[in-house]
Amino acid sequence: MRLLFTLIAMFVTALALGLGSGWYLIEQGSSLTTARIGPWSVWLAAGRPGADPYTVAHVARSGRLPITSTNAMYFFARTDSEGEQLLANCEYAISGPRLEVTWWSLAVYDLAGRLISNKAERYSFSKTDALSATDGSYRIVLSRTARAGNWLPTGEAKRLQLVLRVYGPHPWTDSSGATDASALLPEIRKLRCQ
Amino acid sequence: MSMKSSWSIVLATLAMAGVIHIITVLVLPTFAPQNAATRLLALTETNKMLVLPAATPAHQSLPLMAPDIRYAVCRFDLRNGPVRLSTAIEEDLWVIAFYTLSGVNFYTISGGDLKRDKIDFIIAPQAEAAVEVGASILDEIEDVVVISSPEQQGIAVVRAPLPGPSYAQRTELVLSRSSCTHDISGIDRIRQ
Repeated sequence: MRLLFTLIAMFVTALALGLGSGWYLIEQGSSLTTARIGPWSVWLAAGRPGADPYTVAHVARSGRLPITSTNAMYFFARTDSEGEQLLANCEYAISGPRLEVTWWSLAVYDLAGRLISNKAERYSFSKTDALSATDGSYRIVLSRTARAGNWLPTGEAKRLQLVLRVYGPHPWTDSSGATDASALLPEIRKLRCQ
Repeated sequence: MSMKSSWSIVLATLAMAGVIHIITVLVLPTFAPQNAATRLLALTETNKMLVLPAATPAHQSLPLMAPDIRYAVCRFDLRNGPVRLSTAIEEDLWVIAFYTLSGVNFYTISGGDLKRDKIDFIIAPQAEAAVEVGASILDEIEDVVVISSPEQQGIAVVRAPLPGPSYAQRTELVLSRSSCTHDISGIDRIRQ
């Protein structure tokens, strides 16, 4: 009886550990699969032939069809530059220097990956339609209420995630280039909360 | 319980957890019910081009779709022969990417690389591509690119990033004229 109890306890523990660690590495990634640059993370091998099983599982679960990092890169942020969760009832300034790439676009979603409904019907800003300063730098404000300049509305969502898509040849090419990217990716600063 | 046997219980549990971990990670892609291929299967017929409706809060064909990119997709099946994908290229920004059903992006080319305003792709299974349709066509006509697909089925996606919201309608119109078909007769004629 005692043996049976031990076996069941072992199995339940193993199941929790095995599934939990699998889920964590597929959802959140690890230093082997993802690069973290400030608040931004990127799955380095997404879409690539011969990618590791964690990346393959992550892509399958996400329902996306990413282009490999040679041609495009996708940076995800769920926190601000201080590491705090992005919340729709707070206001954030996202500012970055000129990006010398073919095209980039910054879009905001809820955590389920859905666009956020808003009266302005504005869901993203791109290299071609964001207002930028004469030096090419840009500033985008995430806020529920209208703001001057590049205003990205956060509507009635709760937690937010940002996706920065970068197309074309870029100044960083692989994991070893991650340090270069840190100077180019925008900062996310919290301005105030409601 | 002795010290020794509690250690063996811990080790055995960890070993079991490791096996469960590995199985989870390896098996998940096969059973992920909501991967892109499954979602697209529900929307489109095989060997037919479909311009996905613009992503809005009310409707998104795929999660995390870009609101400022327009997508045309073709789920191709090569079991009855090669498939031809024809599209105009309006901007250097456009990207044409080819995937296996599990989401491996085996070939990508951008409008900027192609340097032409329209293009034909012949998608053929890897083994046949080079021998049967490959070299001879490329010699004869310029605007054909032969893609050798590692699998019999897959997905081709034409991505058209919008330079601004005002480009949406025109871009959708151009994409709607792109096509995906089993009929490669036009190309055969040129070849003869």
